[in-house]
Parts: sequence; structure tokens; C-alpha cells
Amino acid sequence: MTEMTEFSPPARTLSRRQSEARMAWLFSAPALFLLVVFLIIPFIMAFWFSFTDQRLVPNLNLPTQFVGLRNFVRLAQDETFRRAIFNNFYFVLIVVPLQTSLALLLALLINQKIKGVNLFRAAYFSPVVVTMVVVSVIWTFLYNPGEGMINQFIHTLSLGRLGPYDWLESTTLAFPSIMLLSIWQGVGFQMVIYLAGLQDIPEQLYEAAQIDGANNVQQFFYVTLPQLRNTTIFVVLATTILAFKLFTQVWVMQGPSGHPQGSTMTTIVYVVSKGFKQGKIGYASAMTVVFFLIVLAVSMLQRTFLQEERAVD
Amino acid sequence: MTVLTRSPYPAQYRLRKSLRRALDYLVMILLAAFFLFPIIFMLVSSIKNNETQVMSDMSSLYAFVPRGDVGLKNYFDVFAAMPFGHFLFNSVFIVGLTVGGGLVVNSLIAYALARLRFRGRSLVLGVVVALIIIPFEAVAVPLLLVVNRFGWLDSYHVQIIPFIADAFSIFLFYQFFISIPKDLEEAALIDGASLFQIYRTIILPLSRPVFATVAILQFLTHWGDFLWPLMVTRGEEFRPLPVAMQQFFSMDPKMWGDIMAFAAMITLPVLILFLLFQKWFVQSVATSGVKG
Amino acid sequence: MKRKMWFVLGLLALTALLVVACGPTPTPAPQPTKAAPPTQAAPKATKAPAVKAVTVSVWFHSGKGEERQVLDDQVKAFNAANTDVQIKAVQLPEGSYNDQVQAAALAGDLPCLLDFDGPFLYNYAWSGYLAPIDKYVSDSLRKDFLPSIIAQGTYAGHLYSLGTFDSGLAIWGNKAYLKKAGVRIPTGIDDAWTKEEFLDALKKLQALPEVKYAIDFKMNYGQGEWYTYGFSPIVQSFGGDLINRKDYQSADGVLNSPQAVEAMTFFQSLFKDGYANAKPAGDDDFYVKKVTALSWVGHWMWGPHSKNLGDDLVLIPMPKLGDKAVTGMGSWNWGLTSSCKTPDAAWKFLDYLISPDEILHMTNANGAVPARKSAIAKSKLYAKGGPLNVFVQQLESGIAVPRPVTPAYPVITSAFAEAVQNIVSGADVKAELDKAVKTIDQDIKDNKGYPLPK
Repeated sequence: MTEMTEFSPPARTLSRRQSEARMAWLFSAPALFLLVVFLIIPFIMAFWFSFTDQRLVPNLNLPTQFVGLRNFVRLAQDETFRRAIFNNFYFVLIVVPLQTSLALLLALLINQKIKGVNLFRAAYFSPVVVTMVVVSVIWTFLYNPGEGMINQFIHTLSLGRLGPYDWLESTTLAFPSIMLLSIWQGVGFQMVIYLAGLQDIPEQLYEAAQIDGANNVQQFFYVTLPQLRNTTIFVVLATTILAFKLFTQVWVMQGPSGHPQGSTMTTIVYVVSKGFKQGKIGYASAMTVVFFLIVLAVSMLQRTFLQEERAVD
Repeated sequence: MTVLTRSPYPAQYRLRKSLRRALDYLVMILLAAFFLFPIIFMLVSSIKNNETQVMSDMSSLYAFVPRGDVGLKNYFDVFAAMPFGHFLFNSVFIVGLTVGGGLVVNSLIAYALARLRFRGRSLVLGVVVALIIIPFEAVAVPLLLVVNRFGWLDSYHVQIIPFIADAFSIFLFYQFFISIPKDLEEAALIDGASLFQIYRTIILPLSRPVFATVAILQFLTHWGDFLWPLMVTRGEEFRPLPVAMQQFFSMDPKMWGDIMAFAAMITLPVLILFLLFQKWFVQSVATSGVKG
Repeated sequence: MKRKMWFVLGLLALTALLVVACGPTPTPAPQPTKAAPPTQAAPKATKAPAVKAVTVSVWFHSGKGEERQVLDDQVKAFNAANTDVQIKAVQLPEGSYNDQVQAAALAGDLPCLLDFDGPFLYNYAWSGYLAPIDKYVSDSLRKDFLPSIIAQGTYAGHLYSLGTFDSGLAIWGNKAYLKKAGVRIPTGIDDAWTKEEFLDALKKLQALPEVKYAIDFKMNYGQGEWYTYGFSPIVQSFGGDLINRKDYQSADGVLNSPQAVEAMTFFQSLFKDGYANAKPAGDDDFYVKKVTALSWVGHWMWGPHSKNLGDDLVLIPMPKLGDKAVTGMGSWNWGLTSSCKTPDAAWKFLDYLISPDEILHMTNANGAVPARKSAIAKSKLYAKGGPLNVFVQQLESGIAVPRPVTPAYPVITSAFAEAVQNIVSGADVKAELDKAVKTIDQDIKDNKGYPLPK
């Protein structure tokens, strides 16, 4: 934007370009700087640490050493870690189908043009705005052994035949109990995404199906579901990634060791226990790397699926 | 359904239709009960002054009835036991600055990526999109060492600065900006406006929806942040609400009435915000699904 | 108008951030932000301007209400009585206390004086967080302390810490039930129960209609330090231990020795046979509900126990499960950090805390064993003939075994506690102990055997 630009067109474009580029970098600089310092560098550090015995608090007696693949070899033999990874997959296997279909059901219900849907939408969505720590606390109360609300509910429904259960103390029930509250909290979010997907489906498709004599069920299977393909892929994979990040519920309700008997241990809980509580950064970083590779694989899956769909279009 | 109104048996059809509608409502009401009962349970328990009442009511429908000695005693107890106001301030301050700073920083780079030509643009864009998949949990532990190197542990900024730049927010802004027609900007350029002026006077006003979306999504994410503050804060001074809640929860003996009052005080402001701006919340969340 | 405001607000936020961000970065010194909102700094207005008071930062764990109250009072009293030294005390939750200390050490931000659970001392001292206090402690003062306190505070030939109280672990009994069941009540450590007598007592007590479980092991405390403190004496009584104490290099053949396996199998059987409840709903089965006849727990329950059971309360010494009776010892104690710039001032406060009167001030509130003999002599509870004298006997007679004196202690205790948890839930005893040994040995190896600091 110098005066020169007034007279010479070629110089003007050049300088315009230059100044545009300068402004672009100026605009980008804060975000890039922050991303590099607080995301990219720590990310690279995680990889590096995973090959060392890095401690949280440096110790004068023992400088950090390169240990090769030792952390990974140990991970492979670490029962707790295997349990943690198993639990994450277990969570995915149960929660993803349940949460996705429930989200779709909710979306279908409130997508109807009937009175009061806004109220219902608000009701289904409200757990999303409840902080996870609070959710964990409320449900701990609901899961109270003996006289807790959930026990009482099951007791009444089963006409006194079932219960009481010690939800949070049983090695078989504790983790499913956490699944339930996670679904309760998260499903509203997915519901809204499905709702947006539903509203994007062109009305003509239904009209055409009706002319062909399709009933409601057929319309659902031949129009709605295929049209929601991308949304479903997104919801499924986003829920899967969330499942691998599972932390707060377990930490608040069952503590750093995944009480009882490690039955609620998850990868991130173990990462924080080892890395933060026990100060074994190297070992925790190795877990982080494995965790990231899993998340990466899931994301890649998502991209491949979506690309396929685009190719078909 | 329009097809079916042409049915040859309107009376029978209408009956079936209203039956179905009734069934729909029944299902919807049951589901609403499922989603609301823990929240109502929390709110009702929090105003029962008598702890014994809270405990004895918890196993029946009385849990949802404010009965007995009803009042705000539990709330006062919380304030007596802990500096709740201070925690609330911490949370609002931290989340407010994180979200506010994020709106500026992320929209600026997104604007550059969407509108300005410069070498390396596609590289930067590619990096940003790639970064979306790195979850915070994957870098938390090394990040702890980084912020410690800066001497930032136990402070406000350690909970704010690392979270201002956010790849997904940048992506949302970017998507929105490229959909804005260029004509206005071109006209402004000819009028001699600087790029920053254009960003401020043209892009910003047109982009209110995306700003709201990013703000709400970031708010929902960070209001509940737990892992990071747990790692980087020690005393009460800089702790946000979720960590304080967990601390309060883990103190024995557990007074459930007080705990529920604490929980209610974290939840109510957000719940009220949500009910007031329901449309915005829902729209924001819906937008987050269009990635990929 | 609105738009503009929005933008300005955002910009303001950003600049505020940058200011905050840039402030401390270039200076590695303590951050100015930290001192900004002073929550409860003691008012120093009344001080004479001539003497500039030294402020000593102190951390302590927020234990039971009474303990906290006493310490608050002590800080206030000390600050009022001294013009040259002022104490700024911060209390931190007990559950994550060790994490907080680690995090502070990481940030180079430890206070001058802090308290910590006894056996963590060795790791802290080894890591260089603590400074020896030998020069402050005279011979006569040293001799007045219980030997257990000195033993606990010593690492690598130096004294690093002192406690104002020690702990006592024994069996509390409900006298009415014991009499009804016809069980002999031992009165001192010399006539403690044998294993057979102990089992016989459990059987008889279990038969009482009032009794649901013969003994309460305080499993409601959950997996943590209690498991090591409370149950490693069982292993030691049978002849096992947590680690080979010759060189502290391995737990193999000790923690998974036949004796240790026998001990934990015995412990497991108490739960299997229904004498003890692995998951008590609350804390008060023994002293309020009175559905258990015995309670295996420390001195700290004296208050609730004596209040609710009154004359029915009796304290029974630890049984001789193997060749000898063994009990736990050690408690929270105070150490000076190596980063402290004013150790003399910090010692002045510690010196005040360990004066016999202040010790009693604390122990009268929390029921712990006073750390100094001169204080014990003045204590109604612990002096000869007092209701809690058994604890003193146990500590003085050498049946109290300190927890392992090694920097590996944090790993040992968490590995053992996990094993206890799983064993009580019915897991295979040998396999669990082997797993704990593996964890411990691996940690020691990873740390090159914890070489002594030079």
C-alpha cells in the first residue's frame, strides 16, 4: 500500500500480493504459534518420551535415559493396560450401537410435526449441558447400594425378584453402570446431529417413495437410513473416539485405580495414574502413543468411508 | 403421511392415527422422564434441609417431591465449607477468556486461510485439518512438562492459553467464511479498506452464526474441563468448579444434600442459558456434525 | 454499535491474556501472579516496623476436623506470639496430598515446611526435596522422642523429619460381647492372643446373635495407605515382609514367600469364612450399629469409639499370629524443604509444634500417641494405666515395625494395597503377591536400585 502502487500496475500487484501475504501470516501467527507450542510440540514430545524413562520430577541421581522399546514391551505384558484397552473396546461395542440407535430414535421422534416437540427436544438435550463431574456425582447417588433409586426401580419393576445390586462395587456391573450414565449424558448431542441430518433429506424422496407405495417402515429403511449414511458414520466414529477418551466418569466415581479391582480402568485413566500420579512420563507417553494410533485408525476409517460415499455420488 | 390421507377408510384411519400419536407421546414422555429424572432428583434433594430426609426419600418417588423441611440450608452449607464464589469466578474467568480469545485468534487465521492468497496456504490448511484428530488427552502429559518449563503451573493462564487455538474451531470458521460471497470485500478493497478493516467491518457482522456456534461448542467443552485443571492446579486459588466439585464430593462423611446443592449450582446457570438460547445451542451442535 | 462492542471485548480479552502470558515467562523466579489474590494472608499491620518479619510457607494435609482446628489455632497463636516469624499455612486435601507435593516439586514451588505421611519421607529425601534437620535437634531432645519417631524420620544416616504424634494400631473390642462370648481379654502385650485364640475368639463372637461380623477391618477406607499400614503387620507377624530389608533391592522371596502367602491366605479366609465384611456400608458397624464385636483400626478412632461405647470399650494388643506380634507405626510428620530460604525461621515454628504442650494440644484432640516421652507422661490417655497405654507399650517394646525405609516406598505401598484389595475380593493369593513383587522389583531396577544421593 505504498504510493508507488498508484502509477505502476505490475509493481502494484506485486506489492499487493506481498502485503496480502504479510497480512495473512500476521492473522495466522497467533493461532499457529499456539498450536505449535501447545499441541504439535507436546505431541512430538510424547513420541520421544515413549522411548525414554522420563520422570515427571527430574531426579539428580538418575538422569533420563533412552530405553529403546522397553516401555512398549512392558505395555504388551501389562495386565492393567490390557484391561484398560479391553474396557475401551468393550465400551465402544456396547455404547456405540446403543447410543447411536437411541439418538436416531430420539431424532425421529422430535422430527415429527406435532405439538410440544421443542419441549421434548429440550428435555433430551439437557443432560448434555450437565458437566460430567456433576453427572458422575448424581449417578453415584442413584446407584447407591441397597436402597438407591435404581435398585428400588428395578426391584419394583421386577415385582421384587431382582436386586438389590451393588452397582459400583461389583466387578461385572461397575463398568456397565458407567456406560449407562455416559449414554444418558451424551445421546442428546448425537440426537441433534441426526436431527440436522433428517432435516437435510429432500422431501421429494419421501413423496417418490410414497407414490411407489412404500409404507412408513419401508420409507425408513429405503430413504431415511441411506440418506443418513454420512451422519451415521460421523456419529459412530465420533462416539468411538469419545469412548477412547473415557476419563472423568471413572476418575470421579472409581478413582485412579479403576475400582473395583481395575474393572473400570481405561486407557486415559491409566495414563494419568502412571504419568501424573506416579510420575512415569516415559511409560505414560508410550500409552499415549498407542492411544493416538487407535484414534488415528478410527479417523482414517471415517475418512475412507466418507470418501467412498462421495465417489458414489 | 400425505398419501395415507387419501385412504378409503378415513374414520378407521383417523383412529389409527390418533392411537399412533398417543403412543408417540407416551414413548416421548417416558424418554423425557429418563433424561430428566436425575436432574430433578438433584434439584429436589438439594433443597431438602434434612439429610436424613434426603437419604430416606431417595428410594421412592418422594425423591422428586420437595417435602419436609425445604429451604436453602444445603446451599449455605456449601458456601460455609468452601469458597464457592471463588471457584465460580475461576470457572467463568477461565472459560470466558478461553472462548473469547479463541473467537479472535481462530477466526483471524480462518479468514486468512479462506480469503488471502499466500504461499503455504494449503499446507497450513492441511496441517490444521490434520490437527483436528489429535485429542487433547494424547498430549496432556508432555504438555504438563511444557507448561512447567514456562513456570506456569498453578495459575489462570495455564488453563487458558493452551486452549485458545483450536483446530476444529478454525475449521468451522473457515467453512463459513468460504461460503460468504466475495463481492462486498472486493468493493471494500477498491474503496481502499485494509484487510483488517474488511475482516472487522464485513466478515465479522456477516459471521455471527458461526461465532455463536464456536462459542457455544467451546463453552460446552471447557465448562466441564476436569483432567487438565486436576493436573495443573493445587490449592483452591485457581481451581475451577469441576475440580472443586470432585474435591467436595470426595470429602467424608458425604453429606448428599450439600453435594447436590453444589452440583445444582454448577448446573443451573448453564441449564438456564441453554433453555433461553435453545435454538442456538441446537444449531451449534448440529453444525459440529458436518465435519469430514 | 453492538458489533463494535463485541469486537472490542474480544480484543480486550486477548490483550489481557497476552499480558498475563508474557508476565511470568521470561522470569524463572516465582510468578507474581501467584501472590495476586491473597485469600487469607495474616494481617501484619500491627507489627513493629523495625523488625521485618520472615514469612514461612507451610503446607499440611487437611485431616480430621479436630486436627485441622488445632493446627489453625497453633498457627494463630504462633503468629501472635512472634514478631520475627510469620506462618502462612495452606491446607491440601489428604487424598491427593502426595500428588500435590510432587507437582510442587516439579514446579520448584515447595513450601518451606510441610507435613507428609511418614514413609513418603524416604522418597522425598532421596529426590532431594528435603533438608536434614540434625543440627537443630539436640541429643536430649532426640532421646525424649519415641524411638519409632526417630526411626521413621531417619534416612541415609540423617534425621529429616519429626512428628508430633505417632500412631497406634491394635484391636478395639466391645467388652460386653467379649464377656458374653466368654473370650479372654488380654491386658498387655505380654499376654496377647495367639493365632488359635484369635480364631477361637472370632468363632465365639460370630455365634452371638447381635453380631453380624466378628471383626471389622475398616475396608470402607478403600484401597490406599490404610491397607499397607493396617495389614502389612499380618504379613510380618507370620514372618514375611514387604521387601528384603537387607539392601532394599528386591521383594522377591519376601513378599511372595511361603510365610507371606500363608499370612494373606489367613487374612483372606477371615472374609471367606464370614468373620469380616469386605464391603461395609459405613464406618460405624462397630461403634454405632454394634454389629461387629472387634475393630482392627488405629488410635484415631478413640474419639468415636469411646463416645459411643463408653465403658464397653476395650483396647486389645495385636495378636501373635506367627512367632511374634507385630503392629504398625508412623504417622504424619514435618520436614524442612531443601529449597527453603529461611530454614531457621521454619525450624522455629516446628520447634514450637514439638514442644510437649503443643504436642498434647494436638494429641488430646486427635487421640494420637504423643511423640515425646515427656508429653506421654502428662497424657491422661497414654500414661501408665491410661486406656490407650497399650499403644505406648507396643511402640516402646519394638513390636512396632516401621514401613520400609526406602525411596521405593510409594510403589511398594500401592502394589501391596492393590494385592490386598484383590485378595480380599477372592483373587489367588500367590499370583497377587507375585504381581506385586514384579511391580516393586521392576521399579527398583528402573531406578538403578535408588542410589544414595551424593
